[in-house]
Amino acid sequence: MIRFCASTALLTILSAVFLVTGCSSQDQNTAASREKVLHLFNWNNYIAPETVKQFEQSCNCRLSQDYYSDNEEMLAKLAAGASGYDLIVPTGNAMSTLIHQGVVRPLDKSLLPNLKNINPSHLNNTFDPDNKYSVPYAYTVTLLGFNQQKIIELGLPTDSWSLIFEPKYLKKIKGRVTVLDSQRELMSAALKYLGYSANDANELHWQEARNLILRAKPYWAAFSNTSYIKELAVGNLWVAHGYSNDMFKAALDAKKTGRKFIIDYSIPREGAVLALDSMVLHQSGTHPELSHQFINFMLDGRNSAELTNLTGSGNPNMSAVQFIQPEIIDNKAIFPDQELFTRLEMLQDLDRTQRRRLSRLWTEIKLRNL
Amino acid sequence: MRRRNIWLWSAAASAYAFLYIPLIIVVVYSFNDSKLNAEWVGFTLSWYVALFNNQEMLTAARNSLIIAVCASFCATILGTMAGLAMNRYKLKFLPVLVFAPVAMPEILLGVALLLFFLQVLNLTLGMISIIIAHTTFCIGFVAIIVRARLQGMDESIFEAARDLGATPWLTFRLITLPLIMPAVVAGALMSFTLSIDDFVITFFTKGVGEPVLPIQIYTMIKVAVTPEVNAVSTLLMLLTLTMIIIATKLDSGALRRETKQ
Amino acid sequence: MMPALFSMIRNGVKENRVTKWLVSGPPLVFLLVFFVTPSLIMLLTSLRFPGEFGGLAPITLPTKTTQEEHGLTLETYQFFFSDILYAEVFLKSFVVASTSTLICLIMAYPLALLITRSEKRFRNLMVLLVVLPFASNFLIRIYAWMIILGPESVFSHFINGVLSAFGVAPVTLLFSPFAVIVGMVYVHLPFMVLPLYTNLEKHDPALLDAAQDLGANAWQRFWHVTWPLSLPGVFSGSVLVFIPVLGMFAVPDILGGTGDILIGNLIKDQFLGTRDWPFGSTLSIMLTLAVLAITALAARLARPTSIPKG
Repeated sequence: MIRFCASTALLTILSAVFLVTGCSSQDQNTAASREKVLHLFNWNNYIAPETVKQFEQSCNCRLSQDYYSDNEEMLAKLAAGASGYDLIVPTGNAMSTLIHQGVVRPLDKSLLPNLKNINPSHLNNTFDPDNKYSVPYAYTVTLLGFNQQKIIELGLPTDSWSLIFEPKYLKKIKGRVTVLDSQRELMSAALKYLGYSANDANELHWQEARNLILRAKPYWAAFSNTSYIKELAVGNLWVAHGYSNDMFKAALDAKKTGRKFIIDYSIPREGAVLALDSMVLHQSGTHPELSHQFINFMLDGRNSAELTNLTGSGNPNMSAVQFIQPEIIDNKAIFPDQELFTRLEMLQDLDRTQRRRLSRLWTEIKLRNL
Repeated sequence: MRRRNIWLWSAAASAYAFLYIPLIIVVVYSFNDSKLNAEWVGFTLSWYVALFNNQEMLTAARNSLIIAVCASFCATILGTMAGLAMNRYKLKFLPVLVFAPVAMPEILLGVALLLFFLQVLNLTLGMISIIIAHTTFCIGFVAIIVRARLQGMDESIFEAARDLGATPWLTFRLITLPLIMPAVVAGALMSFTLSIDDFVITFFTKGVGEPVLPIQIYTMIKVAVTPEVNAVSTLLMLLTLTMIIIATKLDSGALRRETKQ
Repeated sequence: MMPALFSMIRNGVKENRVTKWLVSGPPLVFLLVFFVTPSLIMLLTSLRFPGEFGGLAPITLPTKTTQEEHGLTLETYQFFFSDILYAEVFLKSFVVASTSTLICLIMAYPLALLITRSEKRFRNLMVLLVVLPFASNFLIRIYAWMIILGPESVFSHFINGVLSAFGVAPVTLLFSPFAVIVGMVYVHLPFMVLPLYTNLEKHDPALLDAAQDLGANAWQRFWHVTWPLSLPGVFSGSVLVFIPVLGMFAVPDILGGTGDILIGNLIKDQFLGTRDWPFGSTLSIMLTLAVLAITALAARLARPTSIPKG
């Protein structure tokens, strides 16, 4: 028995040693040639691998990424005091939180000559006036994705939130619709449909939105934040409320795998939520200069375009336009025209009492039926 | 007796089927020549090739294996001790201490440990913090199994050994440990799988710039479940299988020798 | 220090107390440091105000005057108890957890029994086969169930074919409470099998032989010998399934429909949605207390006092 214990322990230690040495030797290889490591806290799949390689070559450093899939994950981790991140790429409302918490560093714009590439209409946002701290990276729109063939067959409208809120339409697609599992996003869609602002926090308007949601809920299959991409592409879902870059992916997947239908997406005419992600320096970062170098690198039209070509995200970079694939640049749902753009709205953070009220409402929405 | 056996066999077989049908899908689709995990298109090894070219993923796998091995090792030792202690010395508060981490929602444990590591211990997050966190929630699982094994066991064997002049250590080595071995092994297996799978606590306690498998996989899944993720899973199972088989080979050899003595 | 203690034990020094603390000390210290302290932090958290921008409001007001509320409060507890909604979520979660536990028990018991009754050399392999699927990633396994339960899957067509033969309207399997239970059972099945197996394995077969000699049939032997002896295993297994199910949020998130919110989701929402750490802590404390109470109660019921000594 002792021998057994000893052998297991030995095996454990051996494998651990093997793994550790395997690891460190490889780390040393990279560490020897490139000493500096830039730590980027980024969204999943939000930078093209080629771009990473190119940046590493140009800066003679290593770009190390940690991922989050929700602003809130990132905020929670930082709020507890996590440190060591040079750069973060939060959405507008999360950015305003970080700025208010005072955990970001002001930018040195003299190090960012490429800042001139950014379309002025994406600068000077309410969450960061004069772009003291942040530089736009990319944006997405929350919209409706659909199976074009089915929608035409059933004669349903695609340019209105009524598709996911009106029982007369929902009847035909019962159980084939998902909406986002996000308090703010779904409420915003409902508020927009009712003709209010996405940032409306009026109790009565919220109740109205709640009733609208509860009336439509029996027809929805689920609240889904990710699985709708695949389910749309496979054909199990016909309509989904989701993000433009996810719909881009679903459409691409459907096309690549030779589906008989097309996945299309459009911004409802009542208006929708625009999420502008920006790069910002975290105060705990140890490489401010390298961070500026990275930001400037990403502001280069070609590098910025790579992101759009990969993920289908909207691009605020004017010099990127020429490098973006024509079918993406022509897509109104990714690059909305001026008129449509004015109907998009960025989310603003709620205060803590509003947040708790909304959370309660959300629980009620999930638990109850009308 | 016969009829009962048939009944037992079919019930057990359906339980195995329940366990393995989703797994077959995972493995089969890892060889599927289609980006969508939807229908069979053709055989390919390209997902495995892609995987072996993904340096970040390989590092993550190594890190996670180290974490899982270390955490399950610590948790098994501490958990076995806790199980023994709960059974023998009727300490009132120990069961509460052991059950509570199991009962605590993962996310709370994750945030609580993060606050503790950063604001009380002032620890730099890294492998160590993940190992500690995983050990914390695995101890309970091991202890509960070990105690279940000990419960209702005849105390008189231990007493007899003691009466014959065996020291507590000798009693433990020669009598208790062989008796609870299946529970210890089961606990270790459970800790290993819990550790390698855990996303929430790992997310909160991981350090900067160290890829770990659950987060890497989660990242990929967020975008869409690609066959590459299936390939990782398949390889991980294969690796676990090999490790366990080696361990049990060593074990059965040792066991036979012990029993002959 | 340690070698000295060990040699004391080796030399047979009468030191029950030393052994006792040698055995219970390390896990105790570890849990006190790495579990109790963080728990106390969270207990304190539940008494604080959430920060205006997430995190926590300060306990003492910093020198610069802010509008933020600070100090300690019981408001989250008030909020929790003044609303029936949260009790409903608790109740619903307990129903799902009990159902999952029961199904796990029904599936795991024959499996554990079969492993125990197999030849010794096969046993380890069979246990291994139970655990092996869990070396693959948890989310991958859940997503595999999405494929199986999807509306166009073979399984769905089969079930609906059977149902329509009986004149029942077709059902959707995915995104339903049914899918949630399937997922929960799938993820937690080994937690039931392992404790059951380790318990059943130690039973003395002579007991069953004796019962047979006394004329007990297979069912009687099971009900009067095997089952009561296995109660500690049943209890441990149930605890290890019931409790994690309560905190689980990924399964309802992925497989659940529009109404599948469990306490785990609610707690997750407070930390990763609403940035309301105090309320999240309060919910967790309520959950932990409820779970400990239930466990203590169950432990009392499952205490193997009436069981004949093996």
